[in-house]
Amino acid sequence: MVALKQEELLSLAEDAVSFALKKGANEAEAFAYQGLTTNVVIERGQIAKSARIIDHGVGIRVIANKTVGFAYTNIVKRKAAIEDTILKALSSAKASKPDEDWVSLPSDKSYASVKKTYDRAIAELHPEDLVKVASTMLDAAEKTDKRVFPIEGGSGASYLSKAVANSNGIASFDHGTFVECSLATIAQQGGEVTPVCFEFNTERNYNINPEWVGKEAARLAASALKARKTETKNTKVIFAQYAFQELLYFTLINAVKADFVQRNQSAFKGKIGETVASDIVTVYDDGLLDGGMRTWKSDGEGVAQQKTLIIEKGVLRNFIYDNYTAKKEGKKSTGNATRAGYLSTPNVEATNFHFTPGNKSPEELISEVDEGLLVYYLQGAHSSNPASGEFSVVATPAWKIEDGKIAYATKGAMLAGNIFHALKNVSAMANNERKIGQLVAPWIAVENVKVIGK
Amino acid sequence: MKEVLGKVVDVASAKFGAEYVEIRAQKLFKTMLTLKEGRVEATKQGIENGAALRVLVKGAWGFASVGALDFETLNEGVTDACKMAKVASSRLKTPIKLVEAESVDDKVQAKPRKNPSQILIEDKIKTTSALSKIILGYNSHIKSCTIDYLDLTGTSYFMNNEGTCIEQDKLYVWSRITATASEADVFTFSREEIGSTSGYEVFDVKTPEVVGEIVARRAVEQLKAKTPKGGTFPVVLGPEVVGVFVHEAFGHLAEADLTLSGSILLDKLGKKIGSEAVDVYDDGTIDGAFGSYKYDDEGILAQKTLLIKNGVVVGLMHNRETALKFNAKPTGNARAEDFRVEPLIRMRNTFMQPKDYSFEELIKDVKKGYYFKSFRGGQANLDGTFQVGIQEAYEIINGELGEPVRNASISGNTLETLFKVAAVGKDFELSPGRCGKGQTAFECDGGPHIRVKEMLVGGSA
Repeated sequence: MVALKQEELLSLAEDAVSFALKKGANEAEAFAYQGLTTNVVIERGQIAKSARIIDHGVGIRVIANKTVGFAYTNIVKRKAAIEDTILKALSSAKASKPDEDWVSLPSDKSYASVKKTYDRAIAELHPEDLVKVASTMLDAAEKTDKRVFPIEGGSGASYLSKAVANSNGIASFDHGTFVECSLATIAQQGGEVTPVCFEFNTERNYNINPEWVGKEAARLAASALKARKTETKNTKVIFAQYAFQELLYFTLINAVKADFVQRNQSAFKGKIGETVASDIVTVYDDGLLDGGMRTWKSDGEGVAQQKTLIIEKGVLRNFIYDNYTAKKEGKKSTGNATRAGYLSTPNVEATNFHFTPGNKSPEELISEVDEGLLVYYLQGAHSSNPASGEFSVVATPAWKIEDGKIAYATKGAMLAGNIFHALKNVSAMANNERKIGQLVAPWIAVENVKVIGK
Repeated sequence: MKEVLGKVVDVASAKFGAEYVEIRAQKLFKTMLTLKEGRVEATKQGIENGAALRVLVKGAWGFASVGALDFETLNEGVTDACKMAKVASSRLKTPIKLVEAESVDDKVQAKPRKNPSQILIEDKIKTTSALSKIILGYNSHIKSCTIDYLDLTGTSYFMNNEGTCIEQDKLYVWSRITATASEADVFTFSREEIGSTSGYEVFDVKTPEVVGEIVARRAVEQLKAKTPKGGTFPVVLGPEVVGVFVHEAFGHLAEADLTLSGSILLDKLGKKIGSEAVDVYDDGTIDGAFGSYKYDDEGILAQKTLLIKNGVVVGLMHNRETALKFNAKPTGNARAEDFRVEPLIRMRNTFMQPKDYSFEELIKDVKKGYYFKSFRGGQANLDGTFQVGIQEAYEIINGELGEPVRNASISGNTLETLFKVAAVGKDFELSPGRCGKGQTAFECDGGPHIRVKEMLVGGSA
């Protein structure tokens, strides 16, 4: 199936902008998007499906007398359908109310270059190749432990391209590739079923390791067997990246977004320059990280992505902005406008939220714990209090550490606390950095976390 | 439309020898609003046309999604799907088969009293603005208010190679309202959702005054609340929390695909997993409820499905593939969010059946425990571990409601907890929500108030 080419996407966006201006918009912006995805799906121990999804469309934002209207369509082949969508955006704006804080769409057109975001080898992958990836992973899992059942997973490759144009002369095109493989497993023995364990690789270049993913997913599930309840007490907790990502996504990452700060929803409001974390914590929002999952030349508004210092040795330095929230404060956007494809208006979102790693290996980190927990996955992080940072979640599974060694898997232990206190209690960072969604981080040790057992 | 779809189905059968072919073509229209502190961030409208093409070739599934409805595109799509299925079949161990289903020829029209597509955007802005104003004006502790509004209308065409042909209107009206409050360094958060498949008339009942008061009061009340002690306590759960508990702790495990994946229910069919008082249904037929529809996305008539009767697991939720494996009838639980994705087994309106206790009777014997009234979110695991975060809670001291409590959550294991259900109330409430399983599904959960002998309560540090 023929994909829309660079020129086609760009002219789709540029034509939409011109038409909107002609029909009376003061300013206009169009975001044209295309996603081509091929998946191979594992279900209950076998490769059962394969899918190809083609999605494209254009979203148009218009501003008329300080009111903002937006409309989108996925009917891109018919000019009349696009023009009708632009008229809908204008009628949306007309129905709306003026926003006195609206200044203007962005206009800066200089971009830094990004690396390892596009790999032709991924764009040209065949479904047969993905079947191979999935079966390598499945075989590796099955060989590792007979008690393990691979419940779901698969492999996939995507090619995404996007063009942003606006009435201030921005016309930016970017494209990228993603490849992934993942496997969710459980282990069963003598009537005991473990919680779901999960491992994956996602990369922008074609360098995933399905064999490792399969083995590791199986190893985790097998080691979650013979789980025991643990007692209630405050202990040291080592968070693996999955668990940490879940906690941060609903708390810390929101707290540094300018819209949350401006709207009094951030515990960090007014705290720039203050100590908000332990002095071993340094965090960048790095939109230019080589091979990062959220690395693009330009953001959802066509603004250059950049590397922004968020926390420096425990001290809060900056918030992240899109065009609107930046101009509201007379600042420049930090290139953090994200969109859900063509379906949405831009929102402030972190790019690659990068915790600077430490020097210790994960084994060393564990060896330094007299008594504590290693937490891989959490349940219920989305029910954290986003404003206060308070969380009350279940660690499923987690492993008890005793005398520097992993002793046993724990069953249904709850962790309760406040992410902002926890950040101040970070006592060590390992050197095993990896990318999980927007988080790039190593294992992180936190002192004095309340564990509620039985 | 019918003619084009028929031609495409024929291509898959004749040219690729597909055992099964289905096309789900959709024309959807959405209106969305986001208000922050009363400011309309953007007024949004969207048009989406597309089709999902799903086939079984040599016992493996092939799927393609395309963003157009002309014959040429659909033909390419179905060709792609058949080729994909062939590739997937190369490593197949057990071929996939579907349970037999009656063929259906039907046209289902939505009959809203107030069709959201006929309501002016100006009116929608007026309603949401009024709601916003009530919340922000509640008192000076309210710091922010976000309102998301969505209405979706359109038509879905379903056709398969077994003679089923369904044209079904889609209609959803949804809104999520959140507010935050703060005082000193205490931040609180409150959320409420509105959802209906009947029409815009849902706002005649869920008026800005009614909803605004609930959201604002909850956020402000929590400012004075204390954090709970962690540990095991007797608890009384309100209908909303019972709903999310039934949905998370039991419902997901009874989605037959997850049951087959090794959920703890696999060897519990026909066995007792809860106390005598527990009856649970998943019902797709409740008029106007957010999880209701006539036919699912495999063309199966939605049913009212009994899942637990007197504590015994008597049913699961199926699609055609799992129904065959369990030698059961399909229940009409196959749902796809839109044409970009395949149908999965999803819940509809899931609830515990009310029995005979009054609220006073439920709390009167609790010496020291908690009343959990409203939830923030929940999650479950195949091993039966569940967690529900609570946004409104109170102490129960000596049989009476005490002070408010914030940031609590409850957890436990399904198989242990359902046996601890000590008493089931006689009231009943169903609340709309959205459930994530890779895709988002609109659904309802609910039940009466219940008392649970003991539950693990996660407090704050």
